[in-house]
Amino acid sequence: MSASFDRLERYSRQMRFPAMGKAGQEKLLASRVTLCGCGALGTVLANTLVRAGVGFIRIVDRDFVEPSNLQRQVLFDESDVANNLPKAEAAATKLRQINSGVVVEPVVADIDRTNIEDLCRDVDLILDGSDNFEVRYLINDVAVKTGKPWVYGGAVGSQGMSMTIIPGETPCLRCVFEAAANPGDVGTCETAGVLGPTVSIVASFQAVEALKLLSGNAAAINRELLVIDVWENTHRRVKVAPLKGRKGECPCCAKRIFEWLDGAHGTQTTTLCGRNAVQVSHRTASAIDFEQLATTLKGSGTVSFNKFLLKFRLDETGDPYEFTVFPDGRAIIKGTSEPDKARALYARYVGH
Amino acid sequence: MAIQVQIPTPMREQAGGKAEVTVNGVTVQAALADLLRQFPALGPKLFDNGRLRPYVNVFVNDEDIRYLDEMNTPLSDGQTLALIPAVAGG
Repeated sequence: MSASFDRLERYSRQMRFPAMGKAGQEKLLASRVTLCGCGALGTVLANTLVRAGVGFIRIVDRDFVEPSNLQRQVLFDESDVANNLPKAEAAATKLRQINSGVVVEPVVADIDRTNIEDLCRDVDLILDGSDNFEVRYLINDVAVKTGKPWVYGGAVGSQGMSMTIIPGETPCLRCVFEAAANPGDVGTCETAGVLGPTVSIVASFQAVEALKLLSGNAAAINRELLVIDVWENTHRRVKVAPLKGRKGECPCCAKRIFEWLDGAHGTQTTTLCGRNAVQVSHRTASAIDFEQLATTLKGSGTVSFNKFLLKFRLDETGDPYEFTVFPDGRAIIKGTSEPDKARALYARYVGH
Repeated sequence: MAIQVQIPTPMREQAGGKAEVTVNGVTVQAALADLLRQFPALGPKLFDNGRLRPYVNVFVNDEDIRYLDEMNTPLSDGQTLALIPAVAGG
């Protein structure tokens, strides 16, 4: 299907915006983007960029559409749930109907250190639509290693954050947030909840940064850390620009040691044969605080713990899962034999 | 030397549900010590073996203390100290 109107007509209002113009639009039409994750942030990002006329978008996501996604993941509907569609595929179908002039490449995959370089090799910009810091630190490593810009966004509850990274020009993610939180230390959308407008606003800030970068307006980007709370009516930009390279000590952008790509941090999975269970190993710097994790999880299922392990029973859309979490961050997740599903469950409930 | 400390949502349970706490202290170190005296449960949320957790950043009037004088950054009456942890979800 192709549109029956002039190729540029649909962008007329955007081109009338002086900083964009026809020249900016042409750059945008020739640009290529990888979107890591297509959940709440990702669907808003993809929707905005495809409508704006990015040339190519690769959408990478490991999940399937579930009923609890529909409250905020704007590209999905009930038929996607009924058809058990992967998010990347469901999004691609919608996006092609929205703008047939954009090349959309869905990739149903779990982003890890073995595939992220390939997924980002042939693009101009990497966008963070993920729900966890493991993917974000991987993106940061690849972006700094290859000199590509990327845009971080995070949202939980009514709070959100965004930051634009141009390697060599701005601080990188590790200059600002040196290391990932231990599992259970920070809330996730599953444990702390999330409002649709929180993610829409954060993703919209990310999207406008993408439009600046891709249309030749990098000078206009936000060089600080944006911190918002849509419930408490706060919106601030805290000053992080002087953290660039953190006095030569940033392991990533100053020392160019790519710890996440090299596998020094991160998650490994092992399928436990015949047990319908997967072991997720997540390296943590210090022991997990079970009391804290239990408090976080009690709203989502049944939790009990002793000093050796924490048990958590979750009933997610009819599939019962049982987590056994160990103090070193390792977990055995019963109820699935798929590593991707187990990693997704771990990221959602234990977090990292 | 009254300093307003802004408590982020994930730490409020440990701070008696408060979004903002008044503390005393002439440096960031002293102000955080007073905060922990008032709300000891915040200790493990903010510190690990005496060091600030690496995903929690401290800002004095929107400036990151890591390019000021870190924990020795001086404070003056009425300043705001914001604790800002990384936001994970999405």
